[in-house]
Amino acid sequence: MDDWKPSPLVKPFGARKKRSWYLTWKYKLTNQRALRRFCQTGAVLFLLVTVIVNIKLILDTRRAINEANEDPEPEQDYDEALGRLEPPRRRGSGPQRVLDVEVYSSRSKVYVAVDGTTVLEDEAREQGRGIHVIVLNQATGHVMAKRVFDTYSPHEDEAMVLFLNMVAPGRVLICTIKDEGSFHLKDTAKALLRSLGSQAGPALGWRDTWAFVGRKGGPVLGEKHSKSPALSSWGDPVLLKTDVPLSSAEEAECHWADTELNRRRRRFCSKVEGYGSVCSCKDPTPIEFSPDPLPDNKVLNVPVAVIAGNRPNYLYRMLRSLLSAQGVSPQMITVFIDGYYEEPMDVVALFGLRGIQHTPISIKNARVSQHYKASLTATFNLFPEAKFAVVLEEDLDIAVDFFSFLSQSIHLLEEDDSLYCISAWNDQGYEHTAEDPALLYRVETMPGLGWVLRKSLYKEELEPKWPTPEKLWDWDMWMRMPEQRRGRECIIPDVSRSYHFGIVGLNMNGYFHEAYFKKHKFNTVPGVQLRNVDSLKKEAYEMEVHRLLSEAEVLDHSKNPCEDSFLPDTEGHTYVAFIRMEKDDDFTTWTQLAKCLHIWDLDVRGNHRGLWRLFRKKNHFLVVGVPASPYSMKKPPSVTPIFLEPPPKEEGAPGAAEQT
Amino acid sequence: MSRINKNVILALLTLTSSAFLLFQLYYYKHYLSAKNGASLSKQRGSRVGFEGTQWRAVKKFIMLTSSQNVPVFLIDPLILELIDKNSGQVKNVSHGSTSECKFFCVPRDFTAFALQYHLWKNEEGWFRLAENMGFQCLKIESKDPRLDGIDSLSGTEIPLHYICKLASHAIHLVIFYERSGNYLWHGHLRLKGHIDKKFVPFRKLQFGRYPGAFDRPELQHITVDGLEVLIPKDPMHFLEEVPHSRFIECRYKEARAFFQQYLDDNTVEAMAFRKSAKELLQLAAKTLKKLGVRFWLSSGTCLGWYRQCNIISYSKDVDLGIFIKDYRSDIISAFQDAGLPLKHKFGKVEDSLELSFQGKDDVKLDIFFFYEETDHMWNGGTQAKTGKKFKYLFPKFTLCWTEFVDMKVHVPCETIEYIEANYGKTWKIPVKTWDWKRSPPNVQPNGVWPISEWDEVIQLY
Repeated sequence: MDDWKPSPLVKPFGARKKRSWYLTWKYKLTNQRALRRFCQTGAVLFLLVTVIVNIKLILDTRRAINEANEDPEPEQDYDEALGRLEPPRRRGSGPQRVLDVEVYSSRSKVYVAVDGTTVLEDEAREQGRGIHVIVLNQATGHVMAKRVFDTYSPHEDEAMVLFLNMVAPGRVLICTIKDEGSFHLKDTAKALLRSLGSQAGPALGWRDTWAFVGRKGGPVLGEKHSKSPALSSWGDPVLLKTDVPLSSAEEAECHWADTELNRRRRRFCSKVEGYGSVCSCKDPTPIEFSPDPLPDNKVLNVPVAVIAGNRPNYLYRMLRSLLSAQGVSPQMITVFIDGYYEEPMDVVALFGLRGIQHTPISIKNARVSQHYKASLTATFNLFPEAKFAVVLEEDLDIAVDFFSFLSQSIHLLEEDDSLYCISAWNDQGYEHTAEDPALLYRVETMPGLGWVLRKSLYKEELEPKWPTPEKLWDWDMWMRMPEQRRGRECIIPDVSRSYHFGIVGLNMNGYFHEAYFKKHKFNTVPGVQLRNVDSLKKEAYEMEVHRLLSEAEVLDHSKNPCEDSFLPDTEGHTYVAFIRMEKDDDFTTWTQLAKCLHIWDLDVRGNHRGLWRLFRKKNHFLVVGVPASPYSMKKPPSVTPIFLEPPPKEEGAPGAAEQT
Repeated sequence: MSRINKNVILALLTLTSSAFLLFQLYYYKHYLSAKNGASLSKQRGSRVGFEGTQWRAVKKFIMLTSSQNVPVFLIDPLILELIDKNSGQVKNVSHGSTSECKFFCVPRDFTAFALQYHLWKNEEGWFRLAENMGFQCLKIESKDPRLDGIDSLSGTEIPLHYICKLASHAIHLVIFYERSGNYLWHGHLRLKGHIDKKFVPFRKLQFGRYPGAFDRPELQHITVDGLEVLIPKDPMHFLEEVPHSRFIECRYKEARAFFQQYLDDNTVEAMAFRKSAKELLQLAAKTLKKLGVRFWLSSGTCLGWYRQCNIISYSKDVDLGIFIKDYRSDIISAFQDAGLPLKHKFGKVEDSLELSFQGKDDVKLDIFFFYEETDHMWNGGTQAKTGKKFKYLFPKFTLCWTEFVDMKVHVPCETIEYIEANYGKTWKIPVKTWDWKRSPPNVQPNGVWPISEWDEVIQLY
């Protein structure tokens, strides 16, 4: 009986076999009716069960396939999250999706409110003068960009034109003037305002107030203007209230191919504005760069820390150049953002990099310094295997051979204890004083601006005694102090591998940048083979310097070193000049010389034991400080060292001039 | 004839069911090769042998990772154990013959793989590809513990675990992170609110119940069941680590609060002491590791870790605990060879053993040996002058890994009980004068050593 009981294992037997089984049994059991009936029922039941199980299986599979096809998009979640972050909410989701926008313009206060949420408010004194521009997403009403252009001052209108031209068509533009916005508003800018449909914009006059809401390339949605009655007074405050109809999300977005990269791009472009062609629908600029890999890359596994604040446009430019450099490995890059700023994070996400935000501690220079410390500690925590870290800042362009330069020189940091860092920046490497991209120097000053830090130096020496938040010190000045540097030197290239483009910054302004950074030489040649790297080691370098001094031609010391004719019009020669330098810290003459050579003169940079090396008119030009420098012995007895008198005190030296 | 009718019905039913059976067989094959694997009832999947669900899921997963150059390695304890047992055969099998599926076809719910995160070049792309291949993946993320120790940093969340399901079998991909102290760390698999709790039988997972710490394994390529996989070179060592891998993070937030209240001592002397204590601890850890002796942070060092995530600057010594069952007679000579001369030795192996070594810069290394009783642990103390014995009682504890001054070290998992036993409920308040014979709440007088034994049990150098 039990034997007959069908077990699922017997299933695969074919029908015929089953039948013969049955027949055999049928003859044997022919007399036992009850038993046979029982067997029949059993068989029927079994068959029925099989049928049911099969049907269930089919149904199950069907359903599972359907589920798989539905494939829930993770992006949806993300978009929802975005929606929650931004305060302006659309009014209901019905057909009348309209934003109500309020714009106020007056002498001392401007504000913009979208659906009752204030997105701009500026009533600070002596600040925020000019035209405030806000860009809203036409589908969501999110603020995508907020700028102020001080068009009372020269050139700011050019920046405004540049910015407005970059804004994608269809976006909602809001403009409002605080105080004065017309003095340097030139015709190009006025023409642009006209093309936006503004009536009052092209006719803006001295101390007028003006509020404008319009769609880029579309209709004007509201405009108010009040003329100033007299030179000494301002136009009446204007308050513009207008409704902005929202368009559908599809209209607001470009139709890029659905790839990983474009997903990032779409996320970015639906949030922020003002990054030019990266969000262009037709021909977007790439956000992935595949620079050639570097053969035998020694810095492939060196982490790169990018120190950033809230200058997302700078960060964007910086990361583009960094990711285009040969031998870069994106997964080693971490961007440390000082503060909870969203836009820099968006830029980081656009490039698919890792971003870390830092709650600001302390103020001003100390804040920067604490940010540096946290970033460096985090870098070595994230990459515990790393022996070095590359430290970059958000306002640097990175040379195409930046990593190649480091790859060729990094072994020096391992082999030579007398080294403090390798830096990509030559403080004295200006267009007219730098020449040879294959040449390296040893200098006693730490230039920063793209440099390599040794982990042991950081962990054992710097981190434990890093200036605490209450000390308002510059981290770089602190690192340059003799207690920290302890006589060690940095390796720098003659032609810098980084370029400092930041004009706005803690210790920066336009004038300062123009004077000290703009004309800096920046290497653009890929794959430069550095010359004689091992000669940069401590002893070898001394020999090299002695060799150079021995073959150098002594310049005519009776001539004025500030005159162009001080150096002959030759090419490829090596010249030496001796200046007076009584003690190790006597830089009187050097500072004057630096001033007239139009190089860095705010403090002493680029010296090596009282020797400076630079290029003049394509000749290598050495300057030795006598008698403090040990190289003074190379001075022919007949030569009197040059002495330059510092000018009588007139104006205080620019105080906070520091290149952070 | 009713009987014939019945027979006819029976025959018909048999035919139908056979047809269904054939269909079932056909469909099953079809289903296996289908891209969009759907979830079938589990009993069906696990019964199939070679070419079964497990093997297919593993094969697909390996294809996926190797095509993307993602160096995952096998850490599944069940399979590693099998491989280790059959290590001779595995090598023979490596060329071709896949007639028998011995390892990846063993019925189980999961196969666990691991990956070092920094070797993962294109995570997002990989993820999409996996879904296109029919895997349903679940990603568990959390904040990055490597940034925890640094005040006020917040990064994006990091992936800790991936669970990718293909039909009834799931691949558990554990993401390992390198931490300071030359070890690999994986996170806790915590199911957040929105996660489908029935996605897979989470309880049966071998990794993720707690965070874990492992030595960085060397890897080797082998071919098992026709699949080329990476496994730890020494599977046995890895398997031994698994049950004791639980890791606890230092309480950085509380430590910061502590320093806000009591301020950190940043004098030159304090920094110098911390530096030498750290070096001494590193040297001791290295020496004991070479001997294969387990130890943990005890007394003041443990308190420093728990309360302030650092060495207490005025503590003057480094304290370690070792189970007496792990005692080895060559400990003393090993320390001496490492440049740490014995300072004193109290007690004997059978009772109240305590060793003390002299480190550099006047920093002392104290090693207390712990004796296990049925309901508690204890270690002994001896007063050199009087020969008095003391006993320090602790509730029973197990050992967990943690990170301390850039090292992976053990601490009692039940840290708070351990510390409260030793320092009382007020351990949060710094106390600079501490009498080891009277201050600890868990100290008990334990008689006096007989004078005849003094030479043995009180040795001062």
